[in-house]
Amino acid sequence: MRRSSLIFGIVGLMLTAIPAARAETPGQSDLVARGQYLARLADCEACHTAPGGVPFAGGRAFAVPPMGTIYSSNITPDTKYGIGQWTDAQFARSVRRGISPHWKHLFPAMPYQDYARMSPEDVRAIRAYLATVRPVARKIPANTGIFQFSIVRPGMFGWDLFNGPASSYPDDPKRSAAWNRGRWLVEGPGHCAECHSPRTLTMGVSHRHAYAGAVAAGWLAYNITSDPQAGIGSWTDEALASYLTTGHADGHGTAAGPMAEAVSYSLRFMTKEDTAAMVTYLRTLPAQPAKPPKKASDAFSPAALKHGGALFAGACAGCHLENGAGRQVEAASIAGGHTLRDPDGVNLLQVLIEGSRLTTATGNADMPRFGDGYSDRDLADIAAYTMTTLGGTQPAFNTDAVKAARKTE
Amino acid sequence: MATVRINNNEYQADVAADTPLLWVLRDVLGLTGTKFGCGIAECGACTVHVDGQAVRACSLPVGNLGTKSVTTIEGLAGDPLARVVQDAWADIDVVQCGYCQPGQIMSAIALLKTTPHPTDAQIDAAMSGNICRCGTYPRIRQAIRNAAGDIA
Repeated sequence: MRRSSLIFGIVGLMLTAIPAARAETPGQSDLVARGQYLARLADCEACHTAPGGVPFAGGRAFAVPPMGTIYSSNITPDTKYGIGQWTDAQFARSVRRGISPHWKHLFPAMPYQDYARMSPEDVRAIRAYLATVRPVARKIPANTGIFQFSIVRPGMFGWDLFNGPASSYPDDPKRSAAWNRGRWLVEGPGHCAECHSPRTLTMGVSHRHAYAGAVAAGWLAYNITSDPQAGIGSWTDEALASYLTTGHADGHGTAAGPMAEAVSYSLRFMTKEDTAAMVTYLRTLPAQPAKPPKKASDAFSPAALKHGGALFAGACAGCHLENGAGRQVEAASIAGGHTLRDPDGVNLLQVLIEGSRLTTATGNADMPRFGDGYSDRDLADIAAYTMTTLGGTQPAFNTDAVKAARKTE
Repeated sequence: MATVRINNNEYQADVAADTPLLWVLRDVLGLTGTKFGCGIAECGACTVHVDGQAVRACSLPVGNLGTKSVTTIEGLAGDPLARVVQDAWADIDVVQCGYCQPGQIMSAIALLKTTPHPTDAQIDAAMSGNICRCGTYPRIRQAIRNAAGDIA
């Protein structure tokens, strides 16, 4: 009896204590909600989560051949292995300047040059949100290669001289509010250029060839400039908005690989207004022309294409249908995609080998990995058949490209 | 409450919008001709027609149907093409255990409705999402060829 009244008493205290705690920090939940939205815009989760791991606990490997491998850090509020003991100022300096506590300079795998365009208040909101996620007491693996030596880190201050960090620049009064918001989204938290722009000699983002497309981790991030052939100039606003927020636009295929991650963890959470703003800005990226066409490969005889067609019928048509229109889920509709019109077949081979997952509001759309069960010749023939029949493009790759693509996995 | 149009009848099913169509067919409406195989749209046992197209009912949320019309294997009882396919199947004893066959037949009919005289490659492509553990594939292909020959 006494014990039960004690329990009631404690529960009663808790019930009264909760509203009191809320009353003490007005606006805290607004700040956390804003921080969560900003953390999604900045796509923190995709990189700071190991495959199959706890969100934000870090440990995802970023291979930078031949220099070594960098592991993303644990940004949960754990006081030993996470960032629980950091002050807000230390957090803001890490995110916006790449300098974490004790003057330890981050490697620019962390896109602090882009995040510098977020205001200190924005970054503090992200911190407020990250303070609410589950702390994980997990040490991340040590970096390998050149990245394990702390003596390299001060060198990053020199790198910054050439490559940023950029400051948050003022809005352009000659442009619309939507354009300015879009520029902030794309150049700031969205850090689109990190994949979509080629790199300079110092491995910084090239401004001269901004958004002309580049290969990263084996996947080709496409030219997203306003060029009608090479870029997105011929897309409608609706198609762009749909691609960004669902990972698919009819006639343009489905996002895979790192872009599927960007949609799954980040872009699909954008508000309608932010999506429209991003589209507005992307429309104005100066056109970067296509690279000169390559000579068609002679690796595919009619017999090879027939072999590819038979394999396509058995392994692919069940979901994608013979004409590429897709069965029942829009993600399976591949007809018209850039991936089928890139003669090098970079992403086509990559998605065949390692598969891809796209998370949408209605669940996951999975492309299974076919790399294990099929030979280089099989995969090259399937890719060549698909590119020829559904992409109307002559392949310029051969089986060596499959071998090379397997290594980037 | 979802309204679904199945075999030319309207049904009200008291299910959430994300319930797979197959659950509604088998558990709510008792239309057990459509089979459950893998549950992830990889085996084809649950194939039905939605506006004539062969789809996998196990991974199609009823909420996505809208006003589209569903046909199950029960709904093909009076269909002349279905009759031709049924006879073609019986003529050469396609079936072994039979579990996958409703799905096989639904895919075959969807193919023959749009492509009355398919090439072998077209047959293979259209049937590739339907798996048969007994390995009746050669007889399935032959039966489709025979059915195509019987189509006037």
